[in-house]
Amino acid sequence: MSKIKALLVSVALLTSTAAAQGGTLTIATAQDPQSWDPIDTFLVAWGTVAHNIFDGLIIRDADLKLRPGLATAWKYVTPTTLRFTLRQGVKFHDGEAFNAQAVKFTFDRLLGPEGKKGPQQSNYSAIKSVKVVNATTVDFLLSSPDPVLLTKLSGYGAMIVPPKYIREKGDAYFDTHPVGTGPFRFESYAAAQNLKLSAYAGYWGGAPKLSAVTYRFIEEPATRVAELQAGRVDIATAIPVAQAATIKSNSALTLQAISSPTVQALRLNFSHGPTNDVRVRQALNYAVDKDAIIKSILQGYASPISSLQSSKSFGHDPALTSYAYDPAKARQLLAAAGVKPGTSVGIDFIGTDAVFREVAQAVAGFFQAVGLKADLKTYETNTFYSDIIPKNKTSNGYQMGWGGWTFDFDNTAYLLYHSKQFWNPDFVDKKLDALLESQHNLADQKKRLTILRSIAQYTRDQAIDIPLYNQQDLWGVSKRVQGFTAPSDSLLHLQTVSVK
Amino acid sequence: MLRYLAAQVFQAALVVIFVTLVVAVMLRFSGDPAVAQFQGASAPTTEQLQQIRRAMGLDQPVGVQYLHFLGGVLRGDFGTSFRGGTPVGSLIRQALPPTLLLALSSLLLSLALSLPLGIYAAVHRGRWADQLIRFFTLLGLSFPNFWLGIMLVLIFGVTLRWLPPSGYEGAASLVLPSVTLGLILTSTTVRLLRASLLDVLSAQYVTVARSKGLSERRVLYKHALRNTAIPVITFIGLQFGGLVGGVVVVEQVFAWPGMGLLALQAISNRDYPVLQGAVTVLALLVVLINLLVDLSYGLFDPRVRME
Repeated sequence: MSKIKALLVSVALLTSTAAAQGGTLTIATAQDPQSWDPIDTFLVAWGTVAHNIFDGLIIRDADLKLRPGLATAWKYVTPTTLRFTLRQGVKFHDGEAFNAQAVKFTFDRLLGPEGKKGPQQSNYSAIKSVKVVNATTVDFLLSSPDPVLLTKLSGYGAMIVPPKYIREKGDAYFDTHPVGTGPFRFESYAAAQNLKLSAYAGYWGGAPKLSAVTYRFIEEPATRVAELQAGRVDIATAIPVAQAATIKSNSALTLQAISSPTVQALRLNFSHGPTNDVRVRQALNYAVDKDAIIKSILQGYASPISSLQSSKSFGHDPALTSYAYDPAKARQLLAAAGVKPGTSVGIDFIGTDAVFREVAQAVAGFFQAVGLKADLKTYETNTFYSDIIPKNKTSNGYQMGWGGWTFDFDNTAYLLYHSKQFWNPDFVDKKLDALLESQHNLADQKKRLTILRSIAQYTRDQAIDIPLYNQQDLWGVSKRVQGFTAPSDSLLHLQTVSVK
Repeated sequence: MLRYLAAQVFQAALVVIFVTLVVAVMLRFSGDPAVAQFQGASAPTTEQLQQIRRAMGLDQPVGVQYLHFLGGVLRGDFGTSFRGGTPVGSLIRQALPPTLLLALSSLLLSLALSLPLGIYAAVHRGRWADQLIRFFTLLGLSFPNFWLGIMLVLIFGVTLRWLPPSGYEGAASLVLPSVTLGLILTSTTVRLLRASLLDVLSAQYVTVARSKGLSERRVLYKHALRNTAIPVITFIGLQFGGLVGGVVVVEQVFAWPGMGLLALQAISNRDYPVLQGAVTVLALLVVLINLLVDLSYGLFDPRVRME
């Protein structure tokens, strides 16, 4: 009974605020993360929602610039001590005060046994501990400098959580009833259906313009688009390239295309022939017309890349050119390497990825054009990532899609090219290892940029992979929505968005 | 009767054990729930993976894990999801009603359509109405339900805007998924009903009934239909199992938060407890329906009652 009453009261509250403010925005995303706890998952679908509920000490804006969040200032006191001055007067949605203890609790939890159960902890391993200096000052004691740490503190696992609430209600309850300090507060969550948020009037950065936000989880892209067309959804994420024209031609909708961190490549296996020969790997690079793939299969919603990073990534080198499309040169190199015409080259990819299926078929065509025999093999996603790649069961070329949300090449290169990394079972190169290590804990960003660029150059020369393209995320947006620009990291901040 | 029930319960237990064992073993053939958490975002170390596996209880031998699961089921506890700590029982409690609602409504819809159509086609065998009905049921059979679902969404949800394209928001949102699932079921039921009615109508007792001077109506409803009930009901009972498969596809198209969607999600996350729980409940459901079908035979056939 009291539950029903509470519900009625909240409904009444909702409707009254809705009348006073800017209405409800409905967003369709492709996935229900199933847990809203920042340390449980590592999903873009979580980030698209949860940065409205939670804040980090630092906030990264749509232009990828860092600005103060729950911390007003920070500085390195020593190379391994990072001091934060905290914002005062901030309250969590449940009324609990935000302070140094909350920061310590958040990171103790992330770095402790609870964090061990999830995928976030490894991202923050540079932090040894968090020390409370006083109520509004904390020190992050680092085991080694992490040049990407500030960015990492602006997202995902570093979101500040309420200590008292979690201690009282427990972790499992927090998973489905999140409480943070962000511009929107949690209202309800129905698994596999929706998550409802309402404006948090007490937000430290000013009350949001919207009165409520509803996230709907719609896995099927055609259905997401249908809901958008029917006017029942205002923003839909992850529009497939094939549906872009449908949205563009609809007068009530706009299509926003934004380059994402995600790059696609065909990684080449070093442990068996013919791809264990650098001339063959270079030949394969020359053989593929990447621009044609971008133009015809991705319909232009992608950009060419010369290494495994987008142009927004720290480490990108505009001077680095990719292998030009040159089938004659490819044939020449193959002949020099002693590869006989008709030699089989395997291409492994994820079977449910409709776009990459077309890409793989195109690549196979290009391989055949230089006299090779392409052998396409498809796998189920999870099998591919947990078995085929890490256990070195791939054939010659295999799909490698990677999108480090930090937009830092270290986040890609170290994890994919350093020897004995989980995703790199076959490639060992002492020189590259040394280069990667020399920047991994380097605080001097200028020096680091130079090293990262030389790493990119090295991966290109060794032709470790065939960098194919940097894909754009397509967002379908109703013209009813005002002040919304699709962010390249998919982390939505809806505080200033409104609806007509 | 008691003995019959005991045998059925025993059978049900065997089916559930067999099905869950197969699922538990097959699931572990490939993929890794710990790696599933990292996909394309970060790289785990072997140590981290081991820690996560330990937290999930995956460091124990598969046999022990399975017995642990079975023991839990007996206590009515399906464990907790690998994604966060939500109890599997609560996930199933949320997902089961939408699926049952969808299955039931599409079953009722298909009965409401297939009974009159099947009877009409059989009675007017060979005439144009029969031809037409047979043509449309063949057409219905050849539609993949995924495609049919998307088409219905586009026509009634987007172009006409009569119904919500997807979601779980009351009666209106039930229509499109039920029709998608129901139409495919209708096609097969109509064909089966027509065939078995034709069979019965040419039987001796029907000729006898007719020669007694009974009206054609009475022959049809009193004698013939009753005798076709058993194969048709058996078929519908069996279809229910197949319906569960259809539900998976239809739920995905319509973002219908049921068991199919739950199971699909659990497969891609390798969320063993959730998938095992979902499969157990679905298997129980199918067994239960078949039990009901068995029991219903008594209603139509006095000989079954006597045994």
